Amino acid sequence: MTRLCITGGAIHDPANGIDGDVRDICIDGGRIVASLPADVPVLEANGMVIMAGGIDIHAHVAASSVSLGRRLLPEEHTLDPVVAPTLEDGTIPRSGTGGTVPSTFTTGYRYAGLGYTTVFDAAVAPVAARQTHAEFDDTPIIDSGFFALLGNDDYLHRQIAAKEIGRAKDYAAWILKSTGAYAIKVVNPGGVELWKRNVREVKTLDDPVGASSVTPRRILEVLADAAIALRLPHPVHIHCNNLGVAGNVSMTLDSMRALEGRRAHFTHLQFHSYGGERGKSWSSAARQVAEYVNSHPEVTGDVGQVMFGDATTLTADGAVEYLLHTSTGRKWINADIELETGCGIVPYTYKDKAAVSSLQWVVGLELFLLSTDPWRMVLSTDHPNGGSFMSYPDLIRLLMDRGYRDEKLKSVNQKMLAGSALADGIAREYTLNEIAIITRAGPARQLGLKQKGHLGVGADADITIYSRDADFAKMFSTPRYVFKAGTLVVEEGQLRRAPAGKRIYVQPGFDDSLLRDLGKYFETYSAIQLANYPVTGLRDAPAATGAG
Amino acid sequence: MSRAARIEENATCLGCGCVCDDITIVIDGARITEARNACALGLRWFGDGSLPGAVVGGRTSAIEDVVGEIAAVLRSARAPLVYLAPDLTTEAQRAAIAVADQLHAFVDGVTSSTAAEGVLAAQRRGRASATLGEIRNRADVVVFWAVDPALTYPRFQSRYAPNPVGVHLPNGRRDRTVIAVDVGDQRGPDDADVRIQMSAEEEALFLESLRASLAGRTVGDPSIVARVTELATRITRARYAVIVTDAELPPEQMDAPTMRADSLIALAQALNATTRGSLCTLRGGGNRNGADMALTWQTGFPMAVDFSRGAPRYQPENAALPRLARGAIDAALVVGATTTLPTAVTDALRHTRTMVIGPRASESAIDTSIRIDTGVAGIHESGIAFRTDDIPLPLRALLPTPRDTASLLKALGAAIVAQGAGA
Repeated sequence: MTRLCITGGAIHDPANGIDGDVRDICIDGGRIVASLPADVPVLEANGMVIMAGGIDIHAHVAASSVSLGRRLLPEEHTLDPVVAPTLEDGTIPRSGTGGTVPSTFTTGYRYAGLGYTTVFDAAVAPVAARQTHAEFDDTPIIDSGFFALLGNDDYLHRQIAAKEIGRAKDYAAWILKSTGAYAIKVVNPGGVELWKRNVREVKTLDDPVGASSVTPRRILEVLADAAIALRLPHPVHIHCNNLGVAGNVSMTLDSMRALEGRRAHFTHLQFHSYGGERGKSWSSAARQVAEYVNSHPEVTGDVGQVMFGDATTLTADGAVEYLLHTSTGRKWINADIELETGCGIVPYTYKDKAAVSSLQWVVGLELFLLSTDPWRMVLSTDHPNGGSFMSYPDLIRLLMDRGYRDEKLKSVNQKMLAGSALADGIAREYTLNEIAIITRAGPARQLGLKQKGHLGVGADADITIYSRDADFAKMFSTPRYVFKAGTLVVEEGQLRRAPAGKRIYVQPGFDDSLLRDLGKYFETYSAIQLANYPVTGLRDAPAATGAG
Repeated sequence: MSRAARIEENATCLGCGCVCDDITIVIDGARITEARNACALGLRWFGDGSLPGAVVGGRTSAIEDVVGEIAAVLRSARAPLVYLAPDLTTEAQRAAIAVADQLHAFVDGVTSSTAAEGVLAAQRRGRASATLGEIRNRADVVVFWAVDPALTYPRFQSRYAPNPVGVHLPNGRRDRTVIAVDVGDQRGPDDADVRIQMSAEEEALFLESLRASLAGRTVGDPSIVARVTELATRITRARYAVIVTDAELPPEQMDAPTMRADSLIALAQALNATTRGSLCTLRGGGNRNGADMALTWQTGFPMAVDFSRGAPRYQPENAALPRLARGAIDAALVVGATTTLPTAVTDALRHTRTMVIGPRASESAIDTSIRIDTGVAGIHESGIAFRTDDIPLPLRALLPTPRDTASLLKALGAAIVAQGAGA
């Protein structure tokens, strides 16, 4: 068991108001403690930068959709074979493949290699949750959790239609509990069900989804309220309607206003912040979205930055992937998932010579740079949709280094950038503490993870130590040391140990009378027995909900 | 039924890729006496649950020693193979792949011999698919393309389509149109509403013509066009059309691949220009999809993975069977049930030093001096399995055995480490 003090490093721990002070960090077992006797081993970190382990609030790394993507991309994996690392902890090291959708072991090793120690899969079809747990079991080092897709669920829609809002809440609780999920996810509320019915566009939040009383607005309200009533640590996690479509900012702002006053997380906002008009013109509407978020403290978001290069678009939003398939001509997966959700996948390349890619890149950076509260607008690329998590260090450099950013801006396609704030010049450069906020402290606070994202006494000893470098991309791509729950996993820049991570999930309560009604529904419509639906044998203890 | 009988409800059947999870198993003593709801395939698959429990090694029959022997043989091999046979839990499949990775071995399973065509086509094109429950609740036009599920997927029609009531099909079968497409002697179901027939030789042109028709063009001679037009009209007028096909190739077709899988994917994708539709590919029993799935998430490839250079390489054109057939494998560990292996694989293994860890290993037709009997996934071992549509379902040990395949394979991994590092 680790007993160790890290001395001499500059601590960037914004959750505890520490901004570069040189202090000791002491580790006892898996936790950070106030002090240790003078004779414990010391890790000297003089001149280095110390932060909590990184937390990815929104990525696609372990799900049926992710493995559909993996299976679709043998050509990518062939180009990026990854031999097993040499480990010193007795765990059997595993080889794998990389590319935009790496194999599971490689995913765990690579996240740890970047100093990330906690990752959430943002979109799991509840019926396939067993697969997510199995894949996470094969994804070493990182603590992991996932969000359960609920915005296009037939049973939920029925409860909304019948005005059985209490039962809708109980059902959300049952889904979370049965699948071992952490939060409620909504993808294109109602729009995936409409796509299954061959209705390809959601024009307003009040479009009917089957019954006239079931609308994207009601779905958002009911699920936002459910997350609040269940006192979930993370609010409803929303992927708005009309992702990736010109002019979608009005839908995005309407969705935010629909939930005004309620806690809600709006994800990959870059993909939802476009002005212009569908089929005609595009422009940046990042300023409008940033201004809304800035002035509404109940709202949190992550950016979903686009990075130039190869990506794989992979989402529960099947409708949008059909559009991408027809516009790019690239191969395409659609998978309609029984009674719950959908899935679409298209490989994609963001090119700095392409007008739309360049606009997307600019919109994402504007969201970062125009948001006044980094605690509420955190870093993501919606991996692998906007780019791989491996591009985070370069993204950090774009945020911290104006010279680098402006140089890059000159080289991108300018066609759609007229009037954009970034093109007009934004001087802001993120500080190290702001980077610590958008990559650790902010996600931890948004997720309600009290023991993560900071370096205070009692926190999980997930710690990343960087050597300073004027090139921030280099600095953040190769941490010198990474501790995970007190275990030194990266040493002198090399992966040395690969302990299993923990699963992070909730087990909210619900009124048992739900099960009678749900039993009848399953008997009539489901292809699975109700008794076989819940995942059993979850590892680790559940996270607390609410004050409990 | 004696007083000792117990009943296990909601058991999962791996008799075919439908993975029905509504089987009620009656157990009397240590024997399965009934498998209610099971079809003929399911009854055969569950059997009476009895199993041999032999451990046979070259020198000893102590389990630790036999595991050690297997480790030693694999470690000393120049080109070892780990072969994933059917009837494994996905937990055991994962552990077997781990062993192959450790050994820098080749790992493969039955998919490369029986269903590779569809996998490769889906890697070229992607796919438009739906899970079985979605088909049950949404598909109003069901096309059985050269497959009659009554024979090989017996409960498909009663559990998924066309018979059940669905959310969008309140009257069940009456709300659906069933189209049988007969290709030569590969016939669709007898009770279809519409039957379209073609010879095996006509199929490729028919599919080409059908895709052209969806794109508004006419291709092919008039005799084909009339049938094409009828089918095209029916599937494009559907609210949600599903085309059901058998992904498992009969052995005689293994050496003569057609473009059927590729064309049907393209067809199902093209349907979505105007309406909604998907392709449903049926896989055989024993958790075949689970092997593909675990390989995919651990290595990035669904079959035919070569670890010999220390990292996964995809070798679908040089899979286990051709390697075995030309003597390129010098030691093979078969994990799972050898009784359901393709005959060509069993034959090829006869010429290779082979070891078996699996149910009825001691009775295997493969001649080997090292074999360990284990349980069958979902009868004696618990874990998960994947339905033909990739939906994971729970497997419970109805008759638990002390010798769990996944644990044995982990012990094998540890033995390989103990005997010294790497190939």
